Amino acid sequence: MSGHHIIPMKTLISTSLALVVLTIVTVAVFYLPIPAPFDVVVALLLASFKATLVGMFFMGLYYDEKFNTVVLMFSFLFFIVFIGITLLDTLFRDSGISVW
Amino acid sequence: MAEAHSLENPRLQHHFRNADQQFSSSKLGMWLFLFTEIMFFGGLFVAYIVYRAWNPELFTMAASQLDTVLGAVNTVVLIGSSLTIALAIRAAQTDKQKQIVNYLLMTILLAGVFLVIKYFEYMHKFDLGIFPGAFYTFEGIDHPKANVFFSIYYMMTGLHGLHVVIGIGLMIWLVVRAKMGDYSSKWYTPVEMTGLYWHLVDIIWIFLFPLMYLIE
Amino acid sequence: MSAATTNGKTLKVRYFDIEENPTEHYLNAESGLKSWLFTVDHKRIGLMYLASIAFFFFVGGVLALVLRTELFTPAENLMTAETYNRIFTVHGAVMVFLFIIPSIPAALGNFLLPMMLGAKDVAFPRLNLASFWIYSIGALFTLVSLGVNPVDTGWTFYTPYSVQTGSAVILMTIGVFIMGFSSILTGMNFIVTIHKMRAPGMTWGRMPLFLWAMYATSIIQVLATPVLAITLALLIMERTLGIGIFDPALGGDPVLYQHFFWFYSHPAVYIMIVPAFGVISELIATFSRKTIFGYWAIAMSSLAIAFIGSLVWGHHMFVSGQSELSTVIFSFLTFFVGIPTGIKIFNWLATMHKGSIDMKTPMLYACIFLFLFTIGGVTGIMLGAISVNVQLHDTYYVVAHFHYVMMGGTVMAFLGGLHYWWPKMTGKMYSEFWGRISAIIIFIGFNLTFLPQFIMGSQGMPRRYYSYIEQFQTMHQLSTIGSYILGVGFVIIAVYLAHSLMKGQKAPANPWGARTLDWMTSSPPAQHNFNYQPVCNNGAYDFHKPIADFTLGIAEDEHAHEQKGDTIKQQEQNV
Ligand code: HEM
Ligand SMILES: [Cu+2]
Repeated sequence: MSGHHIIPMKTLISTSLALVVLTIVTVAVFYLPIPAPFDVVVALLLASFKATLVGMFFMGLYYDEKFNTVVLMFSFLFFIVFIGITLLDTLFRDSGISVW
Repeated sequence: MAEAHSLENPRLQHHFRNADQQFSSSKLGMWLFLFTEIMFFGGLFVAYIVYRAWNPELFTMAASQLDTVLGAVNTVVLIGSSLTIALAIRAAQTDKQKQIVNYLLMTILLAGVFLVIKYFEYMHKFDLGIFPGAFYTFEGIDHPKANVFFSIYYMMTGLHGLHVVIGIGLMIWLVVRAKMGDYSSKWYTPVEMTGLYWHLVDIIWIFLFPLMYLIE
Repeated sequence: MSAATTNGKTLKVRYFDIEENPTEHYLNAESGLKSWLFTVDHKRIGLMYLASIAFFFFVGGVLALVLRTELFTPAENLMTAETYNRIFTVHGAVMVFLFIIPSIPAALGNFLLPMMLGAKDVAFPRLNLASFWIYSIGALFTLVSLGVNPVDTGWTFYTPYSVQTGSAVILMTIGVFIMGFSSILTGMNFIVTIHKMRAPGMTWGRMPLFLWAMYATSIIQVLATPVLAITLALLIMERTLGIGIFDPALGGDPVLYQHFFWFYSHPAVYIMIVPAFGVISELIATFSRKTIFGYWAIAMSSLAIAFIGSLVWGHHMFVSGQSELSTVIFSFLTFFVGIPTGIKIFNWLATMHKGSIDMKTPMLYACIFLFLFTIGGVTGIMLGAISVNVQLHDTYYVVAHFHYVMMGGTVMAFLGGLHYWWPKMTGKMYSEFWGRISAIIIFIGFNLTFLPQFIMGSQGMPRRYYSYIEQFQTMHQLSTIGSYILGVGFVIIAVYLAHSLMKGQKAPANPWGARTLDWMTSSPPAQHNFNYQPVCNNGAYDFHKPIADFTLGIAEDEHAHEQKGDTIKQQEQNV
């Protein structure tokens, strides 16, 4: 309940292997000719997947009180609020109200 | 498990009712701290995204000055250090005193490797005249805002590097105390908390790597 | 001895007597300067914060009177324009960062939060002490910056001027940066404490509303303050290295700075006001002798404010050159903040309706709060409308708006709370007569100071000027006279509170007949808050039940220091 869970050796090793493989995939994908916005999307998806693995198994969120995961989710939510609303300004500086 | 020990646990502070309450409080506190770290780095990511959206061509040009191989190696190094610190926690949970110290030392070593590689990357750039901010003199990138890209680069990697240094400091402190036999399955909160911190440092690098080094 | 059921588990409990005028309490449990400076007792830390913010309120207040004196005539009365810029900057920065942000959370919150929960302390007492010291170090930097070259940028440190000016921007921002960490640590500590340290039976729905307010405030502190930290760090880098992120001369974007700054600073206005809402909920319930109306509405609206409040920062930037699209969206979102705020006001009024209202000093402040804060909030909504804002931005109308919310709202609630909990904190009563007199003087002085500013502002008087055209002279003079009256009010408070400390009558344990746990212990409280482990079996506002019902605690044999009882543990695992 309170996170005294001992994470199995096998889980730790396979998590790090998966992370290394995903790093290689990330670099490989970089050399593929993926058109403009999607290369970033793929790279970020891979990075998010890696971060999830670290969070779940290295940081033990998978075994932990769920509220800790909620805290983490909220940090991403507020980051997205921050960047999302800021982009509404910076991306539309010259376009005037007519973008509607 | 911890319940059985809570009676004679000298680590139990008087205002907690039992060791479980104490441990889960520390953990929640640590997660909240990580929340603040994410928002702290978040500001830099916002600056990054805003400038990249404004100047996509600049980011493509400038990223070619970064060494993908070194970046990738450093990513793997940090993943390795995440594994070793997780193993250190495991060693504490299973009462293997010696292993706690060894795994911590390995983590420190890997963190050191990361910093050395970073050092060579920085030095190489300084040689070219790629300094942060107003001191930027490099002429190889034909873009009026090339300086801004590298300011963001130095701020992000610099702040991350600072976190690595702090992490090393924390782990040295853990080694000292682990050698005195302070940590065991009964109580290893500082190891666990440092581990959480260190994994976050890893996660931030996991995002920095493709965003800085892999732009086409 | 009897049994109480919490979460399906049975506890052995009994009623305890509360000692009146205890000979031993937290104030005399230890003595000497060290016992204060290195204490980990949340109550003493709260008092140290109280002393610090009182000091900085005094500093900021004197500066305000100096500003108002300069404005008595359009001529150069006391100072040059240059000096005036420095003084209003320091006034604003001191009031915001050194006084109002730590005021209710760090001073009253620290003192009350564990007691209201029925806990012995906050979750991390040493971190709590560290947070006080970090605040002090930050304050020191700020003071040093005043000695070196007082900042003249305004409290917002807008680029590019903050990069160009010769004043000590770096020292000042380092100070604010450091104090930010103090605020973060306090917030973290409170969230964990509320989650993990609630007494048996203290469910979320039984928490006093002050705690809900503190919870929402802490969330904002933890989420927004790091962004202030990175903003100021980048500003410092801009000044030292010229990183060009915010400085247009180097290819940067000053409007981006404003996004960063207001992403913190709009939520920060809720760090200031939400704790005040919490205080008001306590005051109104206690002095109306009624169960609070709409408990969950008030509790949840605090969280709603924390959330919506982090979506609206751009309403400070309507004329900054941000895109029209974002201007429209920010304006739209801003109106939503009014909803949870309105919900609170209506619930307080409904609580007072048909209550047996007792106009003691704290309640007087609560009523003043309702009156002034409503004006402040409604003018905020008006400023949220783009067309109105374009007209009124950077005028005295804005100055009046934020003084009505910050001073008319937060400071009035703080004074109400201070008077309400004074007997608990010090064990002494103050003069009720002088309490009411000064509240009334402050009310008059406040309105005389700031109402004319609404009028001037709507006629076009710009803010941050040391002089003005003749047309505004009458208004400015009224305002200056009002500010002196305000000053007198505060001096009276200082005098009678000092008198109370030295010669005041001993306070009973529960002078107001409140029902929350902070009153279920002696005045002043014991070193570890309670002489028993409280068990909560009632709502925080069950005024229909006798006070004796609220002093339930774990029966002695179960209360041995090393907890044998798995009974409590069961409870807290469901927390
Ligand atoms: C109903 C809620 C509120 C709304 C809709 C609101 C709206 C606004 C708007 C639109 C402005 C910008 C005016 C301008 O610069 O042109 C403003 C300024 C300001 N408000 Fe509010 N406000 C609200 C509540 C508060 C509260 C509770 C506080 C503080 C406790 C506060 C403190 C301030 C401050 C300090 C400024 C001036 C910032 C500066 O430029 O220095 N407001 N408000
Ligand atoms: Cu605002």
